[in-house]
Amino acid sequence: MKFVDEFRDPAAARALVKSITELAGDDEFKFMEVCGGHTHTIYRHGIEHLLPANIELVHGPGCPVCVIPMGRIDDAMWLAEQPDVIFTTFGDMMRVPGSRGSLLDAKARGADVRFVYSPLDSVKIAIDNPDQHVVFFAVGFETTVPSTAVTLMRAKALGLTNFSVFSNHVTIVPPMKAILESPDLRLSGFLGPGHVSTVVGTHPYRFVPEVYGKPVVVAGFEPLDILQSVYMLLEQHRDGRCEVENQYARVVRPEGNVAALKLMGQTFQLRPHFEWRGLGFISQSALRVHDDFADFDAEVRFSMPGVRVADPKACQCGEVLKGAIKPWECKVFGTACTPETPIGTCMVSPEGACAAYYNFGRLHRETAQMVGQGAVGQGAGV
Amino acid sequence: MTAVVGPQAGPVTMIDEELSADLAGAALALARRFHAGATLWVLSPQWEPHSHHVAVEFVHPVIVGKRALPAVALVAADLVAETRIAVRPGDVVLAVAGADQAQVLDVMRRAPAWGVETMWIGYGDRPAAGAASHVLWVPSDDPMVPATGRFVLMYHLLWELTHVCFEHPGLLTVPDDDCTDEVCITCSDEGRLGEVVAPPAEEYAGALVRTATGEEYVDVTVVGDVVPGDLVIVHAGAALTRLEDSPQVGQWGPR
Repeated sequence: MKFVDEFRDPAAARALVKSITELAGDDEFKFMEVCGGHTHTIYRHGIEHLLPANIELVHGPGCPVCVIPMGRIDDAMWLAEQPDVIFTTFGDMMRVPGSRGSLLDAKARGADVRFVYSPLDSVKIAIDNPDQHVVFFAVGFETTVPSTAVTLMRAKALGLTNFSVFSNHVTIVPPMKAILESPDLRLSGFLGPGHVSTVVGTHPYRFVPEVYGKPVVVAGFEPLDILQSVYMLLEQHRDGRCEVENQYARVVRPEGNVAALKLMGQTFQLRPHFEWRGLGFISQSALRVHDDFADFDAEVRFSMPGVRVADPKACQCGEVLKGAIKPWECKVFGTACTPETPIGTCMVSPEGACAAYYNFGRLHRETAQMVGQGAVGQGAGV
Repeated sequence: MTAVVGPQAGPVTMIDEELSADLAGAALALARRFHAGATLWVLSPQWEPHSHHVAVEFVHPVIVGKRALPAVALVAADLVAETRIAVRPGDVVLAVAGADQAQVLDVMRRAPAWGVETMWIGYGDRPAAGAASHVLWVPSDDPMVPATGRFVLMYHLLWELTHVCFEHPGLLTVPDDDCTDEVCITCSDEGRLGEVVAPPAEEYAGALVRTATGEEYVDVTVVGDVVPGDLVIVHAGAALTRLEDSPQVGQWGPR
């Protein structure tokens, strides 16, 4: 649990909390963030506890690891266990459970599973191991797609024949749309993702105010950024405005990164539909390797089982991802499902809402609110 | 709260309640950094004597028995270049300067790429929110503030409170949870600030980029040509964007 004194520029944070409290008045607000980094910051720094009780932060499907369905994990494990395959992935995917365990379990059983920092590292592994086939398990929103796109370009330019990508890249706008269509969730606005927007820009969110009448503020990742973004959302409500604003202007340009978008268009194409854990199938919400790069598409090169696997019955990741319930309201949260022994993916990734809450947010909200307000009132120790 | 009688306008609150809290927070952060081996680097382009004064204050303690703490005044014409060379990850940069000082603004925005914590003492208009980790600001437009002892009082208190923290060793140990800020590359939407040290040397090579955790080679395909000093956001081994050149852009501003 952290308080304002550990924020960057605590005086500015204190002023923002005061302004937010005044601006919110007695109205009820429910803002959703759709970025795992935001969820992590909110829990790590106890931001929910600093805000007045009538402002609720709801944690949406911002963690791409958390939304990968179990069937895709099973496919990854099947790939990893193929002879002469070196399976590479980011470290965060290693513990994600499929129906037959995780990639760590596959590694323990003898599969050559390696984690990499960048997909380009997988290309190096392929160059160094010409007698084996290297698969990169690509996961992530638009933030991560450019580095996979560069990797595909590099593999093609180098003429590699022993490298492919198992693409599970997803896009941010379709799930936002799905959430807005959800009848059981009344949102007052969105904190837009920061680094995703570095790539896609702010224009793709225009439909949110234009069609659904909800404001969006693209937010950075410091606690101060989150507070300022909440303040900007409240300002829009006060002024009767409803638009897309950019709090993270020091990094995000309205047009995004045009070169990255072009590269992504050359190397990937939209899937007609893709299953999201907890959200079901969403149209045009994921990317597969472009036909022009079919030689580097693991789904073309290998006949994967592709079996759809239902989530464990006890797991309520779906409701958590939609923001319908809070992590601690899940039946198995903190008991059968912990970061050490996760049942659902929200507990696997540090940015998953359940793991973030488990690690940083278990102090009872009302208690923390009381402590926080007391500290604010005293001025010191805040 | 510290109050004195002003020459004309009656009592003046030198350090109000808010500033007291900020000073305490800054002192704790400074003590923790010193405890971990940091050096304090001090800049004051407008008022150079302040930078020397702060450095002397920490290096030569006025109270017998207090330990000397490593602090150096930076006074080169190009403060950005000098700071870039001087600092190591974990160090602290303290500026005594107005909010309009371009070199200080530039140092502050690059500091996360160098892995250093920042503190800024000044008066008048505040810098944009979040411009430094700790902003210790005198709420006065009086142009004589830098010469009236209020800055001196501020950094004397900073020094003294830092030593108070040293008297409580338990404060100096950062909890493990805070040290291991575990994030995953994909789902955290991670983007780390990096400063280009050298552009790619050959085709398919990465640019050498300095980040808070050291130097690494980063693919710059989607940001185009880069030159030393460019600031980029790094994600999964690739630069996603290059930040604007103006130091005015890039602080925690709403729009």
